[in-house]
This record gives sequence, C-alpha cells and structure tokens, in this order.
Amino acid sequence: MSTINFAAREINCKIVYYGPGMSGKTTNLKHVFSKVPGHLRGEMVSLATEDERTLFFDFLPLDLGSVQGFKTRFHLYTVPGQVFYNASRKLILRGVDGIVFVADSAPNRLRANAESMRNLRENLAEHGIDVRDVPIVLQVNKRDIEGALPVEMIRAVIDPKKELTLFEATAHNGGGVFETLKSVSKLVLDRLSQNK
Amino acid sequence: MIEPSLALYGDAFDRVDRHLEDLLGATGVRYCLLVDRKGFVLSHKEALWAPRPPALDSVATLVASNAAATAALANMLGERTFSEQIHQGEQGTLYVESVGDSALLTLIFDVSVPLGRVKVHTKKTIAQVAAILGELQDAPPVQFSEDFSKGASALLDDLLG
Repeated sequence: MSTINFAAREINCKIVYYGPGMSGKTTNLKHVFSKVPGHLRGEMVSLATEDERTLFFDFLPLDLGSVQGFKTRFHLYTVPGQVFYNASRKLILRGVDGIVFVADSAPNRLRANAESMRNLRENLAEHGIDVRDVPIVLQVNKRDIEGALPVEMIRAVIDPKKELTLFEATAHNGGGVFETLKSVSKLVLDRLSQNK
Repeated sequence: MIEPSLALYGDAFDRVDRHLEDLLGATGVRYCLLVDRKGFVLSHKEALWAPRPPALDSVATLVASNAAATAALANMLGERTFSEQIHQGEQGTLYVESVGDSALLTLIFDVSVPLGRVKVHTKKTIAQVAAILGELQDAPPVQFSEDFSKGASALLDDLLG
C-alpha cells in the first residue's frame, strides 16, 4: 500500500510497467518524462545494458500536486522484460500499488505476452497476493506496426475474462501513454480513499 | 497489498527527526536519510555546511533496490539478510543499514569521517528509530474521504489531460 507520511504530508504511490521484452515499457516512461513539465518530475534513472535494454529498472518520480493538503507523488518503474531477469522483476514488484501491463502487438509476440502475464501472476503470488488485489491496466502497444494482431486476440491470451481496462497505444509517438497512466493512477488513488 | 503502509505521525516523526539530527551531529556526515523499503524518503537531514544534496528520490530508490538485491543474494547464500552495505569511493562513502524490516538508514559522508565512528553511532540510532517504527505498527489505519479521490482525479486531469 502507499507510503503515507503524515508529518511531511506526503502520499507516495508505486506504479510498475510490466510486460515482455521490447514491448515499449521504457518508451512509455521516456514519453512521460519528455512531456511532463520539469517542476513536476524528477530525474529519470535508467539501469540499462550497453544496448539500452533495461537491466534492472527505469525510474521516474512524478509530482501530482497537493490533494487535501497532501503532496501526492507517483514513482513510476519499469521491469526488465527478458525472461532471464525474473529475480529483478520480483524485487521491483515489492510494494507495488498499481501495474500497467504493456503488451506487444507484433504477430510473433503473442506467446511472449501470455508468458509475461503468467509470470506477473506468479511473482505477485510469491509476494502472497492475488493478481486481482492490485489495480492493473492493460496497454496494447505498437498498434501502428505492420501486421499488428487484432486487439481482441491479444486480450484473449492476457485477459480472457475482459476484467482489465484496455488502452491501445503507440508509445513511440505518445499515443495512449497518458491515457493509460491516468487510468491506473485513478485506480490507485480510488483504492487509497477506500482504504483498501 | 505486498507491503504494509508506513504512516509517520506527528510525534513519531518529530522523534525520528531528532534522532537523525543527533546522528548527524555526532558523526559529522553530510546527509542522513531514513528510507522505506519501497524506496520512499521518510525523513532527511543534511549538515549545514553540506552542498545541495543529489536527487533524493533517486538516491532512495537506488538504495532500496540495492538493499532488496543484496537481501536476495543473502538468501541465495543461506543468510537471512546482510544488514549493512558500504560503498566506498575516492571522495566519500555511502553507508546503509537496515532498521528492522521496514526501513533503511542511509548516511553519505566524506573520506575524512571515520567509518567506525559512523557505525557505532548508527547502531545506537537504529535501535531508537526501530522502536518508534515499531510503535507505529499499532497505529489505526489511515482514512481518506471520497473528496480525496475527487481532488486527486481533478489533478490527474490537469496533469495528464
């Protein structure tokens, strides 16, 4: 749950972008960083390999402003998508308040999407929580690539019961990035006011 | 949720603050931060003579992530945890020690400050701060009204369109 510092009148929430490798998680954060006014965001930290693949995480602090006298801040994280970095993914999920699952529309990434969602469920379960206990929004990214799979086909392997709010996105040009972030942020803050 | 919320209230916050202030004075370190395990700064103190601190959000996040990775390594090696981390450079040192299971005390200091002195005083402070954080576990859950949700939504609309 969110960290609340009454004395400093701060509420801090952690949002994690999850999904298979190369699905566009870091691209989401880079777009937010480039568009949000400088006084509302902190430094973006990227722990990446030489070829700019996420090694541990990307991190971007974001100030929302004051709500009822509480300075409300979001810490946005990505996880490394590659299968072999699971230990890192598990660590980054620690204390998560909300998740954006970034799915890849490429035809050859359908299985990777499904496996990443299964991995998310398993990692959350290892922390002792059910996937339904955390606000999750589904972003289907790369809608502009040639041969992009139908959204419903992607959803069928990730969210067959259609429980998640879905956004189509083209994160490289910012399409759908803020809509997705706004949606997950609202879910997180709603839970806070419901004291869950 | 994965982690319990850490809600620091007035008196507890003041007491934690005073302990950090005392630690700062006793050791001569530049910066002293209490960070929760999720990477959020709970309290921060800096020496009057210290230059402007680096981005505290980033420092806290990296310290917490590093501690989590170190703990995972400890488990793999059959240890419950490694309670302290020391990173020494040419100009200065970063020293991190666990405050129970919920927080990390982080000190940043110049090479002129003896590490041994920092360790001795830090251990004393940790016992005091851990006791205060322990008291907070029994604090009542935090309540926010529906107005909070509405206010937050309005801010999100402003910021994200």
